[in-house]
Amino acid sequence: MAQAHLSTNPEAQKLAPASRRHREQRLNWWQIIVYLFLGIFLVSSLGPLVFTLISSFKTMQNVLAFPPSLFPNPWIWSNYTDVLSNAYFLRWILNALIYAGGAAVLNVIFSAMAGYALSRMHFPGRGMIFTVTLGVMMIPLAITLIPKFLVANTLHINNTYFALILPAMAQPFSVFVMVQFMKTLPRELEESARIDGASRLRTFYQVILPLVKPALTVVAILTFQGAWNDFQWPLVALGTQDMYTLPLGLFFFKSAHYTQYNLLLAGSMFNVIPMLILFFIFQRYFMGGALGSAVKG
Amino acid sequence: MAAQPAKAPVASTSSVQKVERKRFRHDGATPHPRTHRQRSETLTAYLFLTPYLFVLIVFFALVSFYGVGMSLFTVDLGFTPPQFVGFHNYEVLFTQLFTDPSLSPFWISIVNIIKFTVIVVIGQTILALVLAMLLQTLVRGKGVFRTSFYIPALTSSVATALIFLWLYNPDGLINYLLSLIHISGPDWLNDPFWALPSLMLMNIWSTAASFMIYFLAALQDLPREILEAAEVDGANRFQILWRVTVPLLRPTIFLVVALGTIGAFQMFDQAKFMTDGGPINSTLTPMLEIYDAAFNDSRFGSAAAMSVILFIIIFIVTLLQRRFIDTSIQE
Repeated sequence: MAQAHLSTNPEAQKLAPASRRHREQRLNWWQIIVYLFLGIFLVSSLGPLVFTLISSFKTMQNVLAFPPSLFPNPWIWSNYTDVLSNAYFLRWILNALIYAGGAAVLNVIFSAMAGYALSRMHFPGRGMIFTVTLGVMMIPLAITLIPKFLVANTLHINNTYFALILPAMAQPFSVFVMVQFMKTLPRELEESARIDGASRLRTFYQVILPLVKPALTVVAILTFQGAWNDFQWPLVALGTQDMYTLPLGLFFFKSAHYTQYNLLLAGSMFNVIPMLILFFIFQRYFMGGALGSAVKG
Repeated sequence: MAAQPAKAPVASTSSVQKVERKRFRHDGATPHPRTHRQRSETLTAYLFLTPYLFVLIVFFALVSFYGVGMSLFTVDLGFTPPQFVGFHNYEVLFTQLFTDPSLSPFWISIVNIIKFTVIVVIGQTILALVLAMLLQTLVRGKGVFRTSFYIPALTSSVATALIFLWLYNPDGLINYLLSLIHISGPDWLNDPFWALPSLMLMNIWSTAASFMIYFLAALQDLPREILEAAEVDGANRFQILWRVTVPLLRPTIFLVVALGTIGAFQMFDQAKFMTDGGPINSTLTPMLEIYDAAFNDSRFGSAAAMSVILFIIIFIVTLLQRRFIDTSIQE
């Protein structure tokens, strides 16, 4: 971006210095307008979250006061301790961690394995499996909600971690991302590994996996985020409070504390903040991952 | 599109195998090395694929066929055994459509979701495009703005719903801001007229940023020469934008519109969380109605029929969008 500017500038300088100055002035006005708009968008995208975070330290009267006050008066921690004193709250966080962590770890392993076979091996049925993978990515997930529940019911896994993790442990989209990444690696890698006598499995985890670390990270993060924030499937698949994940727990927490926004806001922070921390550590993978489905074949 | 390049390595593999076969034949030790090797390669490949194939077959393929098949039955889980009823579930729904759709929760939900999708998709696409274009003009501070804009996209639907439940409160921040300019805001989520627009606004807020990323990537890949040529030819900023940039972005616009549409049609979390379809069905979405039919009324067959209809609607809408937006694909 900056380079592109540098490359166009000297030319403009040569052509017409006077008009250039004129343009630069116009550019400044333009930039002020741009920054003004960006500022408005900045406030509207960060505002609700920042205000929620601050307000989670307010008392109930304070949080519902009209006109609303920006800062808590007094600052209190008790919303957070009250939330955690709910018998199930820590359990919900733990369940969400098991779901998100389990799904992320297994999905990384299994989709890498499937991606390896589909991109680097030659066997009958490969084309069909890949086509089906592309095909099922088009099926809106919500359409399969009811039959998925009935299948889980038949397997007697509803209201267990299996119901949450099994369907998420090898996702077509992740397999697709892996295939796209692994396809680009040079073939000589495996051939030299094979000549050295390494088995397929060893080639896979000693040669291929280290080379596709960015793809593994993207898949891990996207899977974790999806499961951590998932509401619909846990709502359908889980039945008892001790099995709820955090989003589902917050749903029932909301019914129990309907007007106690101070507690609800503090509760929501337990869902938001871990994601924000992950985001600031793995920022570029998040944005790259969001683009994943646009990866061109 | 992506299936074609996947086939490319096939040619190279077979030539490698030919070389290997020659080498093996020269050895004379193994009589059918190619079939043997091929068989073990196939076996290894399927071992690598086993977990994925299990999920693909059980939770995607089987489940899809099961859903379609189930729509031909009445299923109520436990009271009576499933009974084949042919197209009865569809007949009921379409009779409602042709007699009085305003009395049928399902068709009410379809009307709601069409309004919702049109506004949300237009809103999020334009907002995402504007944000990306503004960011693109920046020389410094781009990263900070991009990161900040992305944060709503990280916030889960449940947390977003909780936060906006509070902001939309009749005495909440939004009505306070409106009162500053002497507008007395409604009771957003309890007003049948305003409840759906409230959800639309919140949805645009939480999704625009993820689509902005697509536009940012596409803008970066635009051929610079064309933009510079337009500039040299004396086109002004808005001419370049409207005549050059937007047409070049058509494939990305299609992608964003299609993904947005598919997402919006399935809206569930926030409607369940904030309004549960109310007041008087004004925020009832098809997914909510499907959920209620199955889990509150034990009408699983009917719910499956609704899912199939919803799927067909999404499918047709996406095809139409492709035809009208991404004209480059057909030529």
